[in-house]
Amino acid sequence: MKEVLWCNNCLNMSTRPRITFDKRGWCNACQWMQEKKNIDWNAREEELRKILNQHRSQIGGFDCVVPVSGGKDGSYVSYKLKHEYGLNLLTATVKPPLSLDLGDKNLNNFLNSGYDHIHITPGYEAMRILNKTGFIEMGFPYYGWLTAIMTAVIRTALNMNISLIFYGESGEVEYGGSSETKNTAIYDIEYMKRVYLSGGYQKVLKKSGLNESELYFFMFPSEKDFENKKVSFAHWSYFENWDSYRNYLVAKEHCGLEEAEVSNTGTFTNFSQNDQALYSLHAYMMYLKLGFGRATQDAGIEIRRGAMTREQALNLVNLYDGHYPEEYIQTYLEYYDMSQSEFDLVIDHWANKELFKKINGRWEPVFTIK
Amino acid sequence: MGASIHYKVMRAPKVTLIDYGIGNLWSVVSAIKYLGAQVDLISDPEKISRASILLLPGLGSFRKGMEALKDTGIDKAILRAVNDNDARILGICMGMQLMGSYGSEDGGAMGLGLIPNRVERFTKEELKGNKIPHVGFNTVNFSDRKGLFKDFPKSSDFYFTHSYRMLLEKRNGIHATCVYGEEFLAAFEVGNICGTQFHPEKSQTNGLLLLRNFLQG
Amino acid sequence: MLKKRVIFTLLYDNGSFMLSRNFRLQKVGDLQWLKKNYNFSKLSFSIDELVILDVTRTERDRKKFLNHVRALSEECFIPIAAGGGVRDVEFAHSLVNNGADKIVINSLVGQSIETIRNIVAELGSQCVVASIDAKKVKNEYMVYTENGTLQQSFSLQEWLDKLTEIPVGEVYLNSIDRDGTGQGYQKELIEFIPVDFQLPIILSGGAGKYQHFIEGLESKKVDAVATAHLFNFIGNSLEDSRIALLKEGYNLAKWDVNNFESIKDIFSPAEKSSK
Repeated sequence: MKEVLWCNNCLNMSTRPRITFDKRGWCNACQWMQEKKNIDWNAREEELRKILNQHRSQIGGFDCVVPVSGGKDGSYVSYKLKHEYGLNLLTATVKPPLSLDLGDKNLNNFLNSGYDHIHITPGYEAMRILNKTGFIEMGFPYYGWLTAIMTAVIRTALNMNISLIFYGESGEVEYGGSSETKNTAIYDIEYMKRVYLSGGYQKVLKKSGLNESELYFFMFPSEKDFENKKVSFAHWSYFENWDSYRNYLVAKEHCGLEEAEVSNTGTFTNFSQNDQALYSLHAYMMYLKLGFGRATQDAGIEIRRGAMTREQALNLVNLYDGHYPEEYIQTYLEYYDMSQSEFDLVIDHWANKELFKKINGRWEPVFTIK
Repeated sequence: MGASIHYKVMRAPKVTLIDYGIGNLWSVVSAIKYLGAQVDLISDPEKISRASILLLPGLGSFRKGMEALKDTGIDKAILRAVNDNDARILGICMGMQLMGSYGSEDGGAMGLGLIPNRVERFTKEELKGNKIPHVGFNTVNFSDRKGLFKDFPKSSDFYFTHSYRMLLEKRNGIHATCVYGEEFLAAFEVGNICGTQFHPEKSQTNGLLLLRNFLQG
Repeated sequence: MLKKRVIFTLLYDNGSFMLSRNFRLQKVGDLQWLKKNYNFSKLSFSIDELVILDVTRTERDRKKFLNHVRALSEECFIPIAAGGGVRDVEFAHSLVNNGADKIVINSLVGQSIETIRNIVAELGSQCVVASIDAKKVKNEYMVYTENGTLQQSFSLQEWLDKLTEIPVGEVYLNSIDRDGTGQGYQKELIEFIPVDFQLPIILSGGAGKYQHFIEGLESKKVDAVATAHLFNFIGNSLEDSRIALLKEGYNLAKWDVNNFESIKDIFSPAEKSSK
């Protein structure tokens, strides 16, 4: 078995795609956390103002699009852009399949706190087929939705002549992946296509058997669609020190965000990813493929923001990581129209055999976190 | 490990915990049971006077405590047990205070007089800026490391919670002191009469060790 | 010398133990969960005191709570403070009879000083801890009662003055802003405490790791630090925290933890022989 390492500061695993470690054994997310202390955030804020001014609508239309789910991050970015920078923003949600009550409630609360909004619902069946295909072909249970939150939003921005889309954080930069865009304020569609949909995109679309009109919301606009228009993308995390816990506190205070009454499965937090049932499966698949799950991710955030030590985090990760989403299995089977054994075959296929061993029908880790 | 513990092979000691309607008895019971001894909550003065090991707990005001002892006749029972029948007694916190000659709290009252010391409130001058009540762990210094204080280092931390304390006017037998602004009597053992101002049942392993010593004596 | 204290607080809601995030509760587990993950008899040897608060948001089942207090106090040889919904002297007595050494009151301060005086008269002021939940509103600290939902018209200063008049034994000062955040204690709140405040202060709200305890312990105004963070201090964490603090020279009580096992059942050789 290839040697597996854990970051000496947080608990990020070497199995994570595009992760790197420095001489201290600190992963790039932790290194970035330190680098951020020395960044001239004032200068970056200046850049933000310039970019916002460039993209402000001259005709009283919308200045930018902010994809939101009703969760803490989108709510935070929207709140800042509207109340601090006076932007006329259009928030956009791509309706998730199997949405949860709490998620629906949070989205409503967010909207009721006063934002223009467009709700995009890609065809249920097309979404379902893409999700199922993604699950089987790539081990990504909601691949269709992951695609649509980019493609459908881009199409909408294009169709409404809005030239800027604001995302929250660059997950790659903040949590341990490619550091490519850590110094990039604004970028174009080519980058998006390359990183986020590397590898599987064409394959899944083809395998789905869906035709072009069914796939409208799942495809990037073509050159022709763009005509003379341009859509740019930015991550809020470039312009302000990204702190997802701070986002949670602001969303709670100003956008009506509510938490779940119990801990979310596979972790110890209760205030994020409350919008859809498939997230738990997504987290579980990540665990089986890479060896770490939601608790590890959340622990990393807590450690980097100074709320707990690595030793404390270890206790929590050992207790909660890698939870099998028992409570949703029936829901998944019905949604995918699969039998338990078909479902299990997919799980078995994607489990990393170097990290896990099947004992009594469940994949158990053969490693111990050091 | 079991073979190397030195203890007298005897029947588990039977403790009579005096129940006069005052005090958190539950924790004391818990501690004694933890040590493997037997404990009964007794309110009958007759039984109390015939007991061989007595524990006197206490909570609240000195005056109310003495009233409760008098009303139930337990005050006389304790004196009979200790003076006539040679019973061994440990007073805890206010229980220790009640064994003194006089307590000024809440209007004042005479104590059981088992030891001659009086109980007074810490004064502002004595406290030297410390807060009242004296609550928390504090260091206790032992005059001798035997009897009640066997197997302890020179000083140990115990849990206190009180605003009144026994004066150091007379130091009989072996005793322990504590400093809170000024030195006061923290514990003593005079013949068969023992007392601790601190709560041994709330003082972690230090407290359990002291209780063991009391029961072994 | 009087030691400072490290206190662990358990938040109880109708049979479950909770994590509080700015006073919103997250269910974590029941007594079984607590016993398994906190190994209570061992845990109590790493802390100075235990506080158990009934923060039930629905109707309180007092009997059930009392049973939990009793269960938690077994084999736990440290002071235990219990409270939550204390409205009369009888319940204060019930808590004492079920293992509590101190009673914690909160909303009662805003409802009936008379009842508090009665409790103090019966149990002694050192048995009464007044817990205050404070939040920064504009530039002032305001007091909230009823599980942080009812804003009082009194400011924190006025509230503190009331408490010294009664008097109660100690003050448990909790920051609603920092509650459950793991951001450390609120420095401003520490600064707010009057320099010559007469009652011992237990500081709470925001501790996530032992380094945060240091912020409280270093202040002359703070006599004890508390945390209710059920996740962060799981497993050996409280024990490790204490060892680290003692090693760094902080003024905490010491006792020989190893004695614990050897002293158990010392008077009952029959039980011992099974070892």
